Amino acid sequence: MPVAAGRYVFTTGVSAFFEMPTSDARRILPEHLEPVEVTHQRSILAVTAFHFTESVAGPYVELMFSVIVPPVPGWWRQRQHPKAGFYPFLAATSSDESRLHRNEGFSIPHIADDIDAQFVESAGTLQVSVWSHSGPVVDLTVTQHKWESTTHLLHTFMVDGKRRLKSNVQISGRYTVHENERGRMTLHHHPMTTALTLDEISPYPFREHWLKDGVELFHPLETL
Amino acid sequence: MADSKHPDTSLKQPKIETRSRLGGVDIDRPAMQYDYTNFYFGAGEDSFALLDPFDAWWSEAEPEGYYQYESPLQSAPTTRVDVLDKKTGQVRAGLINFASYNYLGLSYREEVKEAIKAAVDVYGGGASGSPILSGTTALHKELSEEVARFKLKEGALIFPTGYSANVGTIAGLMRSGDLIVADQWAHASIVDGMILSKATSRFFRHNNVEDLERKLSGFNGKKLVVVEGVYSMDGDMPPLRDIVAVAKKHGARVMIDEAHSAFVFGDNGRGVVEELDLEEEVDIHLGTFSKSLGGQGGYTAGSLKLINYLRGFSRSRFFSCALAPTVAAGILAALRLAKTEPQLRTRLWDNVRFMKAKLDEDGVPTGVSASQVIPIMVRDDARIFEMGEAIFRAGVFINPVKYPAVPKHKSRFRMSISAAHTHEDLEQGATLIAGVLRDFGVCQ
Repeated sequence: MPVAAGRYVFTTGVSAFFEMPTSDARRILPEHLEPVEVTHQRSILAVTAFHFTESVAGPYVELMFSVIVPPVPGWWRQRQHPKAGFYPFLAATSSDESRLHRNEGFSIPHIADDIDAQFVESAGTLQVSVWSHSGPVVDLTVTQHKWESTTHLLHTFMVDGKRRLKSNVQISGRYTVHENERGRMTLHHHPMTTALTLDEISPYPFREHWLKDGVELFHPLETL
Repeated sequence: MADSKHPDTSLKQPKIETRSRLGGVDIDRPAMQYDYTNFYFGAGEDSFALLDPFDAWWSEAEPEGYYQYESPLQSAPTTRVDVLDKKTGQVRAGLINFASYNYLGLSYREEVKEAIKAAVDVYGGGASGSPILSGTTALHKELSEEVARFKLKEGALIFPTGYSANVGTIAGLMRSGDLIVADQWAHASIVDGMILSKATSRFFRHNNVEDLERKLSGFNGKKLVVVEGVYSMDGDMPPLRDIVAVAKKHGARVMIDEAHSAFVFGDNGRGVVEELDLEEEVDIHLGTFSKSLGGQGGYTAGSLKLINYLRGFSRSRFFSCALAPTVAAGILAALRLAKTEPQLRTRLWDNVRFMKAKLDEDGVPTGVSASQVIPIMVRDDARIFEMGEAIFRAGVFINPVKYPAVPKHKSRFRMSISAAHTHEDLEQGATLIAGVLRDFGVCQ
């Protein structure tokens, strides 16, 4: 039986938002999802990397590319209105077990290759490099603002054939976010980036999220 | 299936925990962790799906700080104003006003009020028609001719708002298949004009000429570059000479929105283009009457061919009622004062220098402003409304600005300096603001 929910303990996580062409976003998204535009004809690519130390699939690193989409409105008084919606269109992990778990359990498409990643923190900056045997995938730098403790509710949307799926994701931990445009990203030509028009993706994250020492909870998949 | 090692996986419904103040952020007030952007998009079938979640959020967010907008003034927007405190229901009188755009202090000048009163006697209230039908009066014609003469252009077109001027000009000129490239911090009315035009839209990094060149490169077809004379949130100016050079190199026309710079920049008040001696190089000159002239409406000035074309294709103009004749009369009077009293500009820039020096002396961070718009950089989204309330109660009327109007953690108070401020107003205002910011640890 595929695992229907997951708890992932992480030491480091990063999620940086970049402007991407809406034409790319629409090509990537299933027909029932709309991209959120940050400006006219510019949608949002989220590049997310986590170093998980505990999970049902053991420790592993994960790189995920998502298009930001509208979440399903929740009931505010029960604190169930989500902060954002993600459509993870391609991911990669560092082990077979984690890939199987995320792919079968949550219908998140993965590349078949193992990846490896390096998270280097120094002087308020985190440098993340991800590569596979095919070569480098991404080099990403994010910077800190003010650290606080937080819990975020997010919606993640997936498809399985014609089934439209959603999982509520709760991320807790130490957290810093800003829009000071101090980060930087280089996306390399790699099997993971073929769906993207690389020249049209901003190399500067307009929003930089950086998390430490927290837990990501994927709740059971719901059919929409 | 959950196992004993991972009991959390059996959760059916996520619960957002609330904790007490951690890391300087008050998360006992979770409403303040959300903002308008969280209620802009929502999946689902019902067009009203976001109304209930928004209403529930708003009912908590407003009492916690979002009430600081749309506080009704009980007096004219002079340098001292009486404002209704929406929290207490009391009117707070004599607040030092740094919130109004009245850069030259013209909206309440006797000459302006007299002109408006005279127009009421002749024309009554509204224009009662589109400018292309019955809404154009002799006053409107006089105003457009006076604006064209003032801007040294062949013609000018009057719009009912600055917003409609940008929308009508951009969408009136550009078409599907064309390219518009604007600064990333361009005003919403510029962005909306781009959307309505159906042209391909690109945005270059703020004031970054190299990025502008990248965005223009490789496009064959009609191109328009749009910038502002003074950016309203930071008060900074564009590197206009370089922008014009790059635009010309790529065969692009240049449009400048001088909403915050017309009538105050340049020896004669013709704006940043006069200040930088680029009046001929820029193709489309847009501005508003609601800032320095203290009225309402906007204009586009340029060649007669441009104006005649836009007259026929600016839908936001001819599908709107014309400016009220009383407003047009007030603008005309204010424009004449702005032309004949250059000492207003001299006093404004003296006030700007004085205020910046005073704020610097008090250690108040003021960003990169090069104009009468001075951002007081707080960079604390969680507490800016608390600071705003404290500043309001200390006796100053100034607007807080936070995400999504500005990027996250670039929250600020936007200070507008007027020629009408006295040094005493400025000194007292700076001292009061610095005192509050010191209490909050924003400055020493």
